[in-house]
Amino acid sequence: MMNSRERVRLALAHQEPDRIPLDLGATSVTGMHVDTVYRLRQALDLDGPGTPVKIIEPFQMLGEIKPDLRDALGIDTALLTGTGTAFGFKLEGWKEWKTFGGTPALVPAGFNTRTVPNGDLLLYPQGDLSASPSARMPRGGYYFDAIVRQEPLDENNLRIEDNLEEFGAITAEELEHYRHTAEELYTCTDKALVLSWGALSLGNIARVPGPSLINPKGIRDIEEWYISLSSRRDHIYKIFERQTEINLENLQRIYEVVGNRVTAAYLTGTDFGAQNGPFISPKTYRQLFQPFHKQVNDWVHRNTEWKCFIHSCGSVWALLEDFIAAGFDILNPVQCSAANMNPFDLKTKFGSRMTFWGGGVDTQHTLPFGSAKDVRNEVCERIRAFGPGGGFVLNAVHNIQALVPVENVLAMYEAAREYGTYPLRLGAAA
Amino acid sequence: MTRFEELRQAIIDGKAPVAKELTDQMLKEGIRPAEFFPNAIIPAMDEVGRRMRECEFFIPEVLIAARAARASTDILRPLLVGDETVKSAGTVVCGTVKGDLHDIGKNIVAMMLESAGFQIIDLGVDVTPEKVVEAVQKHHANIVALSALLTTTMVNMKAVIEALTAAGLRDKVKVLVGGAPVTETWARSIGADGYGKDAPAAVDLARHVAA
Repeated sequence: MMNSRERVRLALAHQEPDRIPLDLGATSVTGMHVDTVYRLRQALDLDGPGTPVKIIEPFQMLGEIKPDLRDALGIDTALLTGTGTAFGFKLEGWKEWKTFGGTPALVPAGFNTRTVPNGDLLLYPQGDLSASPSARMPRGGYYFDAIVRQEPLDENNLRIEDNLEEFGAITAEELEHYRHTAEELYTCTDKALVLSWGALSLGNIARVPGPSLINPKGIRDIEEWYISLSSRRDHIYKIFERQTEINLENLQRIYEVVGNRVTAAYLTGTDFGAQNGPFISPKTYRQLFQPFHKQVNDWVHRNTEWKCFIHSCGSVWALLEDFIAAGFDILNPVQCSAANMNPFDLKTKFGSRMTFWGGGVDTQHTLPFGSAKDVRNEVCERIRAFGPGGGFVLNAVHNIQALVPVENVLAMYEAAREYGTYPLRLGAAA
Repeated sequence: MTRFEELRQAIIDGKAPVAKELTDQMLKEGIRPAEFFPNAIIPAMDEVGRRMRECEFFIPEVLIAARAARASTDILRPLLVGDETVKSAGTVVCGTVKGDLHDIGKNIVAMMLESAGFQIIDLGVDVTPEKVVEAVQKHHANIVALSALLTTTMVNMKAVIEALTAAGLRDKVKVLVGGAPVTETWARSIGADGYGKDAPAAVDLARHVAA
């Protein structure tokens, strides 16, 4: 029987393995909210009642996907990531915590919060309670949003360094973590490793406000950032140029310690699509982002066996040729609910050149609000669309959120396993 | 090019300093504040909306155009108070619903509605139903515009409609909804009066319900 790593490798090579590979938790955009992880683990009898779940990504409140859950669902992938978080504290020193939903959880020692009078939760950069908070979770909410801390901008004295403070050389300690974790995952599991290093994305809106910084300088307001893509283009270009230099140095060092144990590298999480169309024009993408994306992807393809993974929410049909020209091999999350993202059309036009990693079920309506039967039907439709010829790794469109019924999550993976074997029984794309 | 055409172009091109300077100069030249909206600001933002629909303008271009429009309207608004020849298109209470902190889309809608001649009461983000009711009562609003980005918060749009009903205000306002996960079907199911799939659609809808 084929192992997971081989299964994913074949799919990424646009060949049909024994079945469509499945992901849950191999990236910070293919995971699951801790509330839902907890309920799923309880439903599958993997834990005694009240057993806390680790929050391994505190921004989006993602719960740890442990090997037993991976095995229970038939997952083929595993996360290879660093020890840091978006808030500048490390994933260590675990302490007990409870979500607003009442889920018992474990959070890192640096996860320090304060509750304000209206019940909202504030989170502090680097765990420093003396700093101004860098994120807020509304009372009863499910994840954090960055707090914009924008100092007045002096148009005549913009410095690229101010938007690069959080990007630096990877430390020896972090490299040892990558080496050791890659070796362990590669030798003790058969999963396809997906590499993440949080600082790789250019202009990721989640990170623009500088949630890890005590005192962010530069352009940190989200609207101001978007405006800068048009009105301060040269400045943004220089920021990206320098950040790419840093990224390439770090990728080189990471490759030296993990080698080709990695199957795919999650290289950018910047969203280029909104619900109805791209955030930016294809021209802006080509001028500002593509040269640097290509530089990184070319390096990866020349020096490694990794496949290049781009995450972009939303309607990105208009940008896909440019993503392919930039050298990306994998598109995630494949938001078919956005405009011009019909799964059959995507496969027809781009399927031989781009692997669709995601797209398994709509997360804006079907997965949270539909019945288990609706979920199964939609998974079947997506298999029919994306499955033929390989080039498909199935998971939900983006992270599975809180409040998603457990039976819907189970229905999704059950349908994927039942109908995802090759040759596909569901027939070719319509 | 006429002065109004110059101002229109400055707004479309997102040149806020030019829009501000032109507005100042045109006022000194004796052009009445009330003439700016129908002759420059509204046509400029209608053109921005058209280009957005045609995928010629994207978020950055829309934001800088809206900023340029605001550079002009910030000068004009205080001068229009008490001008009985100026009829506001309507009063809109807008906000992102409770539990949701996302506001770029809502801000673009607010800016485009303001440029279209509506008075905007922007309640910001994480807005409770009670705050909406209070604002509608205080400002005698005829439109409520709600935004949500999350599947977990869009349910609060229904809570706003219920709160307006309980306060006896439901038949005095039109409730318009929008945001990434929101659909026409959802809007109808919760009893909203309209759904705007993007900012230009929201402006068209507001004009339609205010008429």
